[in-house]
Amino acid sequence: MRRSSIFTKALLAALLLVAVKFAVDGSRDRRTQPAPDRVVDEAGLMTPGQAARLSEYHRFLLKDHDIDYRVLTTNSAGEVNAYSIEKFEELGVGGESRTGRGLLLVIDVKQDAVRLEVGRALEGMFTDAFITYVQHRQMVPFFRDGRVADGILATTELIYTEAQKAEKNAGFDPREQDAVTAGGGAATRARIGEGNGTGELVKGGVAAGGSPEATVMAYLGAMAERNANPDLDLFTEGTRKMLAGWTVTPAQMDNIVQTYRACHAEPVKVGGAGKLAVVRYPPAERQCSPWFLREEKGGWRLDLTMMQKAVRFGRTNAWHFDLQVEHPYRFAFEDWRFDRHGFPVVKDSALAAK
Amino acid sequence: MEPNEAGPSREERISRMEAEGVLSPAQAEMLRQSLSVASGPQASSDERGPSTGRMAVAKWVLYLALVLLAVLSVGLLEGGGGGIQEVSQTINQPGVTGEMNKSLSNLLAIMLILAVPVAIWAWLHNSLVSREEAVFASWAQVESSYQRRSDLIPSLVETVSRYLRHEAATLAQVTRERGAGERDLAAAVEELIKAQKASTDLLRQGGKMLDDPEALAAIGRAELQVGGQMQRMFALAESYPELKSADQFLTLQGQLEGTENRINVARMRFDEAVEAYNQSIRKLPGSLVAGVGRFSRKAYFQADEEAENAPKLDFH
Repeated sequence: MRRSSIFTKALLAALLLVAVKFAVDGSRDRRTQPAPDRVVDEAGLMTPGQAARLSEYHRFLLKDHDIDYRVLTTNSAGEVNAYSIEKFEELGVGGESRTGRGLLLVIDVKQDAVRLEVGRALEGMFTDAFITYVQHRQMVPFFRDGRVADGILATTELIYTEAQKAEKNAGFDPREQDAVTAGGGAATRARIGEGNGTGELVKGGVAAGGSPEATVMAYLGAMAERNANPDLDLFTEGTRKMLAGWTVTPAQMDNIVQTYRACHAEPVKVGGAGKLAVVRYPPAERQCSPWFLREEKGGWRLDLTMMQKAVRFGRTNAWHFDLQVEHPYRFAFEDWRFDRHGFPVVKDSALAAK
Repeated sequence: MEPNEAGPSREERISRMEAEGVLSPAQAEMLRQSLSVASGPQASSDERGPSTGRMAVAKWVLYLALVLLAVLSVGLLEGGGGGIQEVSQTINQPGVTGEMNKSLSNLLAIMLILAVPVAIWAWLHNSLVSREEAVFASWAQVESSYQRRSDLIPSLVETVSRYLRHEAATLAQVTRERGAGERDLAAAVEELIKAQKASTDLLRQGGKMLDDPEALAAIGRAELQVGGQMQRMFALAESYPELKSADQFLTLQGQLEGTENRINVARMRFDEAVEAYNQSIRKLPGSLVAGVGRFSRKAYFQADEEAENAPKLDFH
């Protein structure tokens, strides 16, 4: 009897030790498990700096919207739809997200194919139609011009913007879900390096306006028609030179039109001996960046060159000035106050405007 | 542009196309009939029909065993005697194994002998039920993907038909003739509607088709026909840059191709679920339980020749 009792106690102690060991090992694994690589560039399409920048953006997407977004470039995936599903499961895409939200972008250079695989938890938000639009109207034009990293980043920006809208409109399903895919998303030809990314969008010229407001309206009209012509009359000469080498996508133009549709312009500020003008919007309309215009050859023309240097956008698309850049349009903002990052201070600026 | 479609209902859309002359009354009726692919109620493990009798017998055997066990245990506890219990004889005596302990030991032994097989049988039965339900659930995903495609087809038909109408009006002013390309596209629309209706008719058979390889193969062929007609229409649209470059057509094509991919995934997962289920009902010891519960073998979806003939997505 006593022998049996000792044996039972020893057995229980051994079982307890084994259980404790497994528990400790398990918790150690979870603590030391490194974050997965968010950008795997097997095809060598990006510089290390570009890959790091993308990874950083994806980190914010996870932090702000709980979306686990990965990028995988490869040279021989075979059939891209099947490969994407296989990799989605193999890499555990969506596993980093509490709510199982996963996105996987696969670019296969050899097959000339790109697929954005959307996990089931995100299907309601990122529909096949939206992904098709993003691929054709934003990503592929950059790819055609050989700018793969820029195309991916520009796509991520659109995804981020869409996620922001979803968060604002309670479009996300907040429940915890399995990180799985049912085959949602879209695939298309990547057309990397094919050239002429913007070519089909170059349409007829648009004349400069007789007033700064008229020029801005004409420009927004051109954007609504998806006219990416860099030689529009309403640009300054410097702007035309700058735009000559740019990739301009339909989605970018659509985005400009949609953004400014909700903006309410303030009275035009004219300075620089009557040769410079600024069309600005209330600082509370944070996504409505100001327009810089210069009078040249008898018309008001958009100075996108200076806007490009001086105005920056955060990942939430709120604009701010790069305080290191000197520009001649400061006269229009003397009644506003800016924080140390260059963002206009809403309360103070609103009071000053009154 | 707004990629997320939130337009009129499918019925409204078809009626409007009919009223505007975009679709002929016959085409409209055919499209209307092809709208819902939802099948009848799925067969489930509780509605297995012929198996119910055997299940009932098995249940009665179980109940009888339990009753017998109860009666036996009462008899054993009573020590086989009757009348007033003689406590002095049944209480434990020092160093002696009492009558009550013997009875309990016997009872426990009998319970163990009966309970262990019953528990194993129940566990096997439940795992077969779970696997069968997984087959039904994966079939529901297949149906849902077909429904998704069925919902999108009226939009595709409308977009292409309106474009053709516009083209016809333009051409009529110049040549008063429709080109061969337009005729091909119009014929593709007609064929797509027919194929969709044929597939919907087959899908309305309900869940019984899962037991019938021929029925499932017929659905596979009908669905391939729909996919093929759709791809044909997209291929013909290549010749019409104005149609092809329109955002509406582009996103519609993206949605339909996306649906084709979902169908492939759903079919693949259905076949996996069927394989797991079929194996479990054929291997021992599951086959013993499957025989009593009448768990029948399920049909696989995709035959090899169908897979070879599946429409290949031609990226736009």
